[in-house]
Amino acid sequence: MTCEEFKRVLPELGSGHGIEQEEHLKSCCACSDLVADLNAISKEARFLQGSEDPSPWVWNSIEVALRQEGLIRQPQLHPQTPAPLLGWRLRWLVPLAATLLMVFGVLIYQRGTGQPQMSEQHSPPAGVVTANLQPADVMGGEDLQLLKTVGERTPSMRATYEADLRSVNAYIRDAEQSAHSDPNDEVAQQYLRNAYEQKAMVYEMALDRSLP
Amino acid sequence: MQRATSYAVGLIVVFAALAAAQTTRQEMHFKVARRASVSIVNQYGAISVKPAPGKVVAINAILYSGKVEVDHSKGRRRVAVFSHLLEGADAQTGRVDYEVLVPADASVTLHSTTGPLHVEKLRGDMMVEGSTASVDVRDVSAGHIHIKTLNGPVTVTNVSDGLVEITSVGGDVALNSVNGSLVHVNTSSGKIHYDGDFGDGGDYSLTTHSGDIEAIAPAYASIEVVARSVQGTVEKDFPLQPEHTSFVPRAGSAFAGTMGEAASSVKLLSFSGKIHLKKR
Repeated sequence: MTCEEFKRVLPELGSGHGIEQEEHLKSCCACSDLVADLNAISKEARFLQGSEDPSPWVWNSIEVALRQEGLIRQPQLHPQTPAPLLGWRLRWLVPLAATLLMVFGVLIYQRGTGQPQMSEQHSPPAGVVTANLQPADVMGGEDLQLLKTVGERTPSMRATYEADLRSVNAYIRDAEQSAHSDPNDEVAQQYLRNAYEQKAMVYEMALDRSLP
Repeated sequence: MQRATSYAVGLIVVFAALAAAQTTRQEMHFKVARRASVSIVNQYGAISVKPAPGKVVAINAILYSGKVEVDHSKGRRRVAVFSHLLEGADAQTGRVDYEVLVPADASVTLHSTTGPLHVEKLRGDMMVEGSTASVDVRDVSAGHIHIKTLNGPVTVTNVSDGLVEITSVGGDVALNSVNGSLVHVNTSSGKIHYDGDFGDGGDYSLTTHSGDIEAIAPAYASIEVVARSVQGTVEKDFPLQPEHTSFVPRAGSAFAGTMGEAASSVKLLSFSGKIHLKKR
């Protein structure tokens, strides 16, 4: 049995597997890992069952998102709005990417300051902290890509987003330097969290197709 | 001279009439159950939401050209309305102004780039989001108020028992008589102004990178306060009981202490701006 064949029958398999599938699982790490992951997700998902219905706000937000993606719509006799810059299949990545951006930033920082001797060094180790200590007016590749996306969709908003990204990058730079100088300073950590929250919001709003 | 003035007035009247002729009004009414959810997504233009008696959502939309339409969908407990831009629409021709009446217990979600956005006298949750839109929320209670703007100024007035979260990159934020279990403001360059008594048992965090923070409180305020500006100055009009902090308070750039029974926690943090805790 090949991996392709196994994946084809996987959705129909219950808790047990046939002899053929068992043999494939013994010989294929990728498929056995996949099954282990699915089992773990299934097990954990049982604990996520809520005892109360979500608020109507939640359902409404879902509908707004689905409607914005064009998955549900009313009959229309008019030309459609321009095609989305991200396909609907990838739209769920937007909030995820924004969150990951924030978490990644904090983790990168914390990794950079996790070793006590770092706070005593005048120049941070190459490749760890220096990557984040770029001048405020230097934007990374992701920022430039975001500005390009905004510029293609709504040219009039590009300058606004550029100014905001510079402002937020300056915030991140200062917050990182502050936290770096005293890793145990809770206030410095809060500056850093807030700075990354700002950046996540800018990305989220820039990629929200409901607003131009 | 009189004739020229008459011509000018005449022209203004004609242009005003032409402009009025290009706008169309669309009214919608929806019956909803209690605690309904109302969502308005409007690319360009104002949204104003006010309470009305009964269980009806009434929406009055003013469309500024034929290049925009208003679509809607509804369920028993939800109403969603969208401005639908047609080809060639821009900020002028795609503009729609909404006046919305909802039951006071409704939750509202408002999106607009240009705004302004206004909500008043509601008890439900609200999510208000705009880029350059100014946001004005007033006279609300017991709800979760979540506001996001890029550069639009935010004013929140007379909120009791709320849960308030405001994030803005460059917009100034003004909170007047705002109390709740959690009041968090996070700006990058916007100024933050708070005028209130910090309630009883709340968590208040006003944080900005380069903006100034001014907090005005009465002498009877019961707070545990931490104020700190890395590069700016801090000032207070109150005597505080000193307390232990994770940093070393330095005169002029940081202070920490308590007033009264320290019922609420207050953090005033600016990186390079000035902070002033004023006595009312």
